[in-house]
Amino acid sequence: MATSGTDLLTRMAAGDREAFAVFYDRYAPVVFPLILRIVRERADASDVLQEVFWEAWQSAGRYDSARGSPEAWMVMQARSRAIDRVRSTRRRSRTFVAPLDEAVAAAPAADAARDAAEVAEDRGTIRSALERLPGAQREVIELAYYAGLTQTEIAERLKQPLGTVKTRIRLGLERLREVVRASP
Amino acid sequence: MSHEPFDTLAAAWALGALDGEDRAAFERHLAEGCDVCAAELRSSAEALAAVARSVPPMIPPPEVKAALLGRINATAPTRRDAARPRRLVWAVASLVAVLAVAGFTATLVATRYEARLGQMAREAAALRETVQRDEAALREQTAEYQSAVDLLRDPATQVVLLRGLGPNPEANGRVIWHPTAGGHLIVANLPTAPAGKAYELWTIGDGAPRPAGLFRVDASGRGTHRIEPLADGQPVKVFAVTLEPEGGVPAPTGPMVLASAR
Repeated sequence: MATSGTDLLTRMAAGDREAFAVFYDRYAPVVFPLILRIVRERADASDVLQEVFWEAWQSAGRYDSARGSPEAWMVMQARSRAIDRVRSTRRRSRTFVAPLDEAVAAAPAADAARDAAEVAEDRGTIRSALERLPGAQREVIELAYYAGLTQTEIAERLKQPLGTVKTRIRLGLERLREVVRASP
Repeated sequence: MSHEPFDTLAAAWALGALDGEDRAAFERHLAEGCDVCAAELRSSAEALAAVARSVPPMIPPPEVKAALLGRINATAPTRRDAARPRRLVWAVASLVAVLAVAGFTATLVATRYEARLGQMAREAAALRETVQRDEAALREQTAEYQSAVDLLRDPATQVVLLRGLGPNPEANGRVIWHPTAGGHLIVANLPTAPAGKAYELWTIGDGAPRPAGLFRVDASGRGTHRIEPLADGQPVKVFAVTLEPEGGVPAPTGPMVLASAR
């Protein structure tokens, strides 16, 4: 029987390196495609992945199971660090608009990710949960989730009232929770 | 139960899309402790994790894991903290052992050399004592010889021959004798006196033998002895040597070993 992620984090907090290796093997394959989708460069994605797991090792003792599963915690950290990376790169290169559009437009950005996704879709076994959302809701959530845009930025981008964006985000997330509950 | 606007704000906050005054307001609300929003956020976080899980997993480049394990091994705090005192204990223990061995060795060497030095010092002292004793003996002997030579120059001096008696026929002696200045006994081929015994010289005139001093002979059987002049100046007719107790006796008791012709 597999050790729970919470137990692994407890052991990591006590300095257990074997627990970290198991933890990495379990969650890195989940968050790596997410990071790659956001930062789009494989080298950057490797850097961010290392940063995220290094922080997990160092702050394992601060993980609070009341606020979510270890997977949710790692996904939130990975998204946060990946978006930080994109923003700092964007500030340096002064190209504010283009990468965002590409990030949203590209499904899985890297070739490897695209190949894997295509293989999976060919089998018909795995589809992104977001694909089951109505287009308008999916759009705002993808802009926030993958591009790291705030609600105000999304409203400007889509030329929609802020209130409309807020509502779409809320409805989209509610729908997503239903989808996930229906097909875990 | 709806508690708008926080339901809407919670969704955007879970996505990290909340900004401006909305974000400040929602975080104030959260800080006050809202179970409804906490549950909403937890549910949204799981849904967003499910989005990540819904795409095909990818094995990351192996260098990432290797780099992480390297960093952890290099800095793992709990293991290092446990290991450091152990290393320190070993270092201290080793040092103590080295010092103990060094100290023991030093003590051993010092003790042995001290013993050697002490022995050498005692030997030197004994040697010096021997030399001093020999020197004194030589001076004494030289003085006796000088005295004897001086006596021989005197026309009144006699040389009396002594012959061995009993078991020592090869023993012989001379007495250089001056009636008023005294004289010297010189012996040869006389065996060393047994333990507890000594040779005693007697002067015999008209009366009973009178003791004239104790003397010893060396390993080669030779010996000399200074003879004090007789207080009353009486003539001596016979010189004789007997073997007596080493403390000397007032009248001869032992066997006569040398005697002058009458």
